[in-house]
Amino acid sequence: MKVERREVALSERAETIRQLLHSDGNRLGLISSINGSQLISLVLSPNEGTAVCWESPLQTKQYHSLVPVISEAHWFERTMWDMFGLEPENHPRLKHNLLHEAYPSSLLPLKLGFDSSVDGKSEGTGDNTGSGAGNDSGEGIVNLNGRDYKPMAVRGDGIYEIPVGPIHAGIIEPGHFRFSCLGEVIFNLEIRLGYVHRGVEKRLCEVPWRKQRFLVEAAASDSAAAYALAHSIAIESLFDRSVPQKAEFLRTISLEIERAAMHINDLGGLAGDIGYLAISSTMGRLRGVALSMAEQLTGSRLQRNFICPGGVIFDPCLKLRDIKNSAHQLRMSLQPVMTFFMSNEVARDRMENIGKVSARLTADFGLVGPAGRASGERYDARQHFKHGVYPRIRVPVAVETDGDVLSRAKVRIAELDTSLFLIEQLIDGLPEGDALVKLPDSLPKNAAGLGIVEAHRGELIHLVFTDGEGKCSRYAIKDPSVNNWTGLAIAVRNNLVSDFPLCNKSFGLSYSGHDL
Amino acid sequence: MLRLLGYLLNQGVVTSKDYCAPLEDGLGLPEFSDRACAGSQCNECRSVCPTGAITVDSGENGGEVHLDLGACIGCSMCVRSCPQETLVNSKKTAVARLSRDDLVISNVDRKVPLSLSRSTESKSLFYRSIACRVVSTGCSACDLEVAACGNSIFDMERFGIHVVASPRFADVLLVTGPVPKAMHDALKSCYEAMAEPRRVIAVGTCATSGGLHRGGYAEANGVDSLLPVDLYIPGCPPHPWSIIDGVKKVMDGRQA
Repeated sequence: MKVERREVALSERAETIRQLLHSDGNRLGLISSINGSQLISLVLSPNEGTAVCWESPLQTKQYHSLVPVISEAHWFERTMWDMFGLEPENHPRLKHNLLHEAYPSSLLPLKLGFDSSVDGKSEGTGDNTGSGAGNDSGEGIVNLNGRDYKPMAVRGDGIYEIPVGPIHAGIIEPGHFRFSCLGEVIFNLEIRLGYVHRGVEKRLCEVPWRKQRFLVEAAASDSAAAYALAHSIAIESLFDRSVPQKAEFLRTISLEIERAAMHINDLGGLAGDIGYLAISSTMGRLRGVALSMAEQLTGSRLQRNFICPGGVIFDPCLKLRDIKNSAHQLRMSLQPVMTFFMSNEVARDRMENIGKVSARLTADFGLVGPAGRASGERYDARQHFKHGVYPRIRVPVAVETDGDVLSRAKVRIAELDTSLFLIEQLIDGLPEGDALVKLPDSLPKNAAGLGIVEAHRGELIHLVFTDGEGKCSRYAIKDPSVNNWTGLAIAVRNNLVSDFPLCNKSFGLSYSGHDL
Repeated sequence: MLRLLGYLLNQGVVTSKDYCAPLEDGLGLPEFSDRACAGSQCNECRSVCPTGAITVDSGENGGEVHLDLGACIGCSMCVRSCPQETLVNSKKTAVARLSRDDLVISNVDRKVPLSLSRSTESKSLFYRSIACRVVSTGCSACDLEVAACGNSIFDMERFGIHVVASPRFADVLLVTGPVPKAMHDALKSCYEAMAEPRRVIAVGTCATSGGLHRGGYAEANGVDSLLPVDLYIPGCPPHPWSIIDGVKKVMDGRQA
């Protein structure tokens, strides 16, 4: 979709953004920078289905933090500190988010002039501080790189800390959790991410645009279809081109299969953490059905390399009848399983009133997706922004108001049913025609493109800028997890340590989508 | 409770009996067919490959094409662009290899490198059971597929493969993802915590070579830049059968 670019002076930025966000259902999309010499704030107007990118030129690397007036800016400003070296003044708790001690403090990957083939390598000749080799000593206690990180300390009689990670006990991505507890009750959870930061946003500006889609899909592969779709919409909006209706339908089918597969996965994980193994193993089997639908549609269980700028790579029309039958059978098979799950008193007792997030904090921190909708937030990007057949085709929004683990499970169950029903409907109504249009070879100059998609975790944003030569100068990705990690930290407060796995699973967050 | 048991019994047995069955709808990694190749005259496959996994000789061998499955993400773009159908989808799931060099295949020298055991003299190292510690350093695709190995369809425990929660209990370290800089120390200390004999498996293309992330400032260049790797499982992500097959190869492997 098109994004309107407007300028606002740095001195008026906070007030302008604050007023915009307080009116008419507007939302904060993302805050970032293009090359370190300006701030960009993307403000979405879901009701109109439009977006405005407010740019504020910077003279120095300091600026006034938005966090005192807009809480959800906290995470974006930390990331900008790492990636561009921009320093927010009056940020209540500034800490490194993506770049850890192992990186030299001079490394600012997205700032203008950074060349990843020369800068930042441990053994590189361009590293004149010599500090980059500090992590090879093996003794790594003294951090030579000046990227100290101290988790928030909670002090008092009987308070103790439990550090967990970065490597977890199960099969899951890495991240560090530090619980400050009194007895069994969690006072504060500090979440440290960035362990899987691979430099995706920088690499996206280095590869030719036709090869960007492979990297985008590999950024967070459990949302490969959503990532590919957001990327495609952003690129198509740069060219101001639309794709054939048939492609829109196939893309939506792909997106909904992904949502169904991941909701099944997350619900099975919840059942597993409760100890209801009959349900979790059944969900493991049923996820297999969803994955074979994905494989029939795209040739890949995780739907890699199907959605591309211009449409879809190939037309899987011969398989659609089987996919429709599978969707129907899967929907029928899920119903009794979900009844068993939700009617079990022990399971309900483990989920009810556990990990609550209030509606106010949900709005303040801009939680999205099932986590937001479980706390009374009605926002679903499928209702507002153009992607696939949306918002032309309306889907019911599943909303709960209790904000606990049970509500997040209920929202997923309702969405799962909707998705599978929708897949059947879309296959029935599939239009004739081509599924791919050819796009020009070079990107337009000095343009901006935006893609907003409701992924299974919530609103996913891809924002692309090109420079005067038609090269991609900035590729910003905002995964739904960026909003929702804070939600998890809020949810576990005053809950038992033993309920943490359940709370964590009920959010089902992505580490790699956040870390990029 | 009884109704639940009845429901479970009614589901029947879903476990797949066909070990390493070829893919039905999936495409799998590419391989060379018997058809002739125009080599450096064509170059189509090399130009579409997103990871630079394909090299085409332009010298006197003109026409020899090398495909590094350890860098291949299985996108099938080379297969789709190949005008002569020299490159085809292999649909195979038993793709693990003991050495990095064995992952490079060629259209001229069509040897199928399957050097599965180090030595045939001594006894098998892990007998009939193997404990795996999984460390994820990547995008979660491989993690989902490793987790899928444990579901009732693939059920890797029937082969004696189980996942453990600490490196102290583990025989083999399964690493997924390209191992970016922030994970270097954590991965090394995990390896050091394992008792001998220990083995390392690189699961997926990122872990094998860094894949799409290779060469960036995050130094995400794969596991073998840090640890000795005993087995590589290519694929982005590898199919659950590929993972089970790989672990079994290490399990059945002989003492060095």
